[in-house]
Order: sequence, then structure tokens, then C-alpha cells
Amino acid sequence: MNDDNAGNDANAGGGAGQTVDFGFERVAWADKARRVRSVFESVAGKYDVMNDLMSLGVHRLWKQFALSLTGLRPGGRALDVAGGTGDLTLGMVKQVGKSGRVVLSDVNPAMLEKGRDRLLDAGIAGNVECLVADAETLPFADHSFDCVMIGFGLRNVTDKPAALRSMLRVLKPGGQLIVLEFSTPTAPGLKPLYDTYSFRILPLLGRLVAKDADSYRYLAESIRMHPDQETLLAMLREAGFAQALYHNLSGGIVAVHRGYKL
Amino acid sequence: MPATPLWLASLEALLNRQLAMRSESAALTQRLSGKSLQVDVDGVTRIRAVTAGTRLVLLPGDDSPCDAVLSGTVKNLAQMAAGVGSGVTRDRLAGGGGSAGIQVRGDAEVAAAYRELLSLARPDWEEELSRLVGDLPAHRAARLARDTSTWLRRAARSMGENLAEYLQEESRDLVGRTEVEEFLHGVDELREAGDRLEARLQRLELKLAGTDRHAGTA
Repeated sequence: MNDDNAGNDANAGGGAGQTVDFGFERVAWADKARRVRSVFESVAGKYDVMNDLMSLGVHRLWKQFALSLTGLRPGGRALDVAGGTGDLTLGMVKQVGKSGRVVLSDVNPAMLEKGRDRLLDAGIAGNVECLVADAETLPFADHSFDCVMIGFGLRNVTDKPAALRSMLRVLKPGGQLIVLEFSTPTAPGLKPLYDTYSFRILPLLGRLVAKDADSYRYLAESIRMHPDQETLLAMLREAGFAQALYHNLSGGIVAVHRGYKL
Repeated sequence: MPATPLWLASLEALLNRQLAMRSESAALTQRLSGKSLQVDVDGVTRIRAVTAGTRLVLLPGDDSPCDAVLSGTVKNLAQMAAGVGSGVTRDRLAGGGGSAGIQVRGDAEVAAAYRELLSLARPDWEEELSRLVGDLPAHRAARLARDTSTWLRRAARSMGENLAEYLQEESRDLVGRTEVEEFLHGVDELREAGDRLEARLQRLELKLAGTDRHAGTA
């Protein structure tokens, strides 16, 4: 684990007096969820536009790659945790077809509302449910889903090990967890460029387009505080996932971690 | 553990799509639970295969222990995966034998079971293409590919026959099969006649030698 990720030790457990990272700040354990909610309430309206703008559209390829790994078949059941505006849900609904079921969940009602509207606008109804739910305490029976996906959500979760355990619990035996998340650049020479982009251009874009530079500064900081590839891999294994592995995308800017429930 | 290359993830997704359509794959993957196979492609890459539930998982190969190892050249392993040419059968693998160019180490039963799993996962290219471009264009592209392949095979055969005919009948650089057979038949007849002549000469020599002995004693 690198120094940047030292704060994640506090992610396991939590309680009175304990602190957790919120970007580069340390905040009270109980305070992080409220502050994350406030960030996403602020950016919800421009979230999709900003995603395209910030990544120059590449986030669509990252999501497409993650979707290609689900192994979902018609009739399958999938859960999109922290699904927000529903990009991944949309892809998984196509995979499971009319006879399947996908649950789009998010802890933030404002983001979920955007996701639900987007699905309805795409003509998708009947085999998809939208649900406000906390990743750490998913309100589903054990062994409910063939695939659980969390895309660009895990870094905002206060207690990541608890969220991983919760996702493992709701997976069926043989089911797969896919974590799509920003990570640590591994390509030579990429890090300085990426830092400049994250801390100078990203907040500027946030200020100009979403009229909210602070929220986008938090996004950049939260990415730096998120566990790197190897640390997250170890966390997956510790939570009980088998055959865990990861793939780097765009030189490690994003990583896809996968693990199975056996 | 290093990052798993993206091409390996794409290959895994492709194979698992085929396995999901084969009812017999579930029992096989369950049987292989906890067993691993490493495929060493000489000088190119190493791939570790394990199972998770009813799915095949492909990881980068390494030096850690595994249940079985298959090693060979790209060509031989590709032929084995395609089920042609190499003559590697399940029984041969289970018997601990590979084939020309493919070595099997470790538990040959595990290697044979993985080979069976991979044979179930053999992609249907027309179906895969249809996922990208739709059923009708995929069907037409596949038909075009089949027709082109058939035409190329026929053209190659026809060209070979025409060339042979020219060399045999026109330029007379080569002799025809019938002429060769006639020539060889003639050679056989000549050899047999030579053998018969040799036998007669030997008999004659024996006779003459007997006559000389009788004359000497008289």
C-alpha cells in the first residue's frame, strides 16, 4: 500500500471518533456519506455531460469493456451498485433480456432519479428496478445475483471492506463481482500529465460546465486516495472473493477488478 | 500479481459465451473446480486456466505450482485447440502422452478435461460476428467467407491439375502417372526375368560341375 492510501486503513470498521478520507481531507466517519451525497446532488444534472467531457468519451469504452466481462445470459439477474445515471444498467439490461432482471441501486436519490428517467427514456421498463441502497448494507437476500457491478462508485464508499463483503453476500455461488474504478497510472510518464489534468483542468471544467469546481476537485482527490490496483486486489481476496484479478485500462488510469464467489 | 492483459479478458469472455450455451460444460467446470492448467506457448506467452463456478477464468501464467502443463508451439497448440492435425486425443492426453510438438506434464486427466472444456468453448464465428454487425450481415459475411474459401480450394486444386497436365503432356518435363506405372511394371518384369535367368544359370552351373566330377572319377 502506498502512502496515499494510508487513509484506507480507517475504511475497515469505523465508529465514534474515527475519521476517514474525503478527498485529501479527513472527516468524521459518519460525515463522509453525507458529504459524498452532497457532491453528487450537486453534479447529478451535468454528470453525463461532464463524464464525456472529462474523459473525451473514453468512459464509454471503459464501461463497454466491463460489460463484456459480465458473462450474463438472457434470464440472468444483475445488480448495479452505485449505478448513478444507469450507463452500466442499460448495458446489463440488454444482456439479460426481457426474462432477466437488473437492479439499479444508488445511495443518492438525485442520481438514481436521473438514472431511472434515462432508462424510461430508453424504453426500458419491466425488467429493471431502481432502488436507493447503501453498498455497505445491500437490502437483498443472500445468493440473489449472477453478477454485481460497481462502476466508479467504490471510492466514494465509507467502509469499502464492508461494501465488498455485502456484495459477496448477495452474489450467487459462481457469481462475479466487477469493480470498475479509477486507479493508479502505471504507464511510464503518464503520472505527471494525469496529475496536471486532474488538479488543474478538471476543476476548471467543473467550474465552467457544472458551475461547481469543488465537487470536481473532490473527484480528483478521491481518485488519489483510492487503493491502488494491488491493494484493491488484496481487499477483494480478504473479503472472500476467489480467482480475483484485475485489468488496467488507459495505462492504469482505470482498472477493472474481478472476483468470484465460490 | 501483475495486471491481466486485456486480450486475455476478451478471450475469456469469448470462450465463456460458448460454454454458457453448452449444457455439458457446467458439469465439467464443476469437476475441474480447484484444478488449474497452465498453457506454455513456446517463446510467446503463458496462460493459467482455472474455473470459477461454471465459468473459465484465464490468468497470466507464472511459476507457481499447477495441476497440469501443456506446452508447445503456437501452431501445434492452435491445431489442438481447433481439434485438427495434431492427433492429440483425450485418451492420449489421459495416457500421459502428448503428440508431436506438444508436451504434457503433471496430471494428464486434468489436461484432458481442460482440453474437453476448450473443445466445448470453440467459438462460432458467425454468431460472434452477428453480435457486432447483426444477424443478416454476419450471415452474408460468413457465407462470403465460406464461398471464398471453397473457391480458393477449388482454384488451387485446378491450378495444380493444369500445371501437372502441362508439365506432363505439353512440355514433357514430367512423366504421367500411367507412364510411370508402365515403366515400373516393366522394371519389375525385367527384374523378375533377370532373377529367373540367374536361377537357370545357377542350375546349369551345378549341372556342369556334376558332369565334370563324374568325368574325373571315370
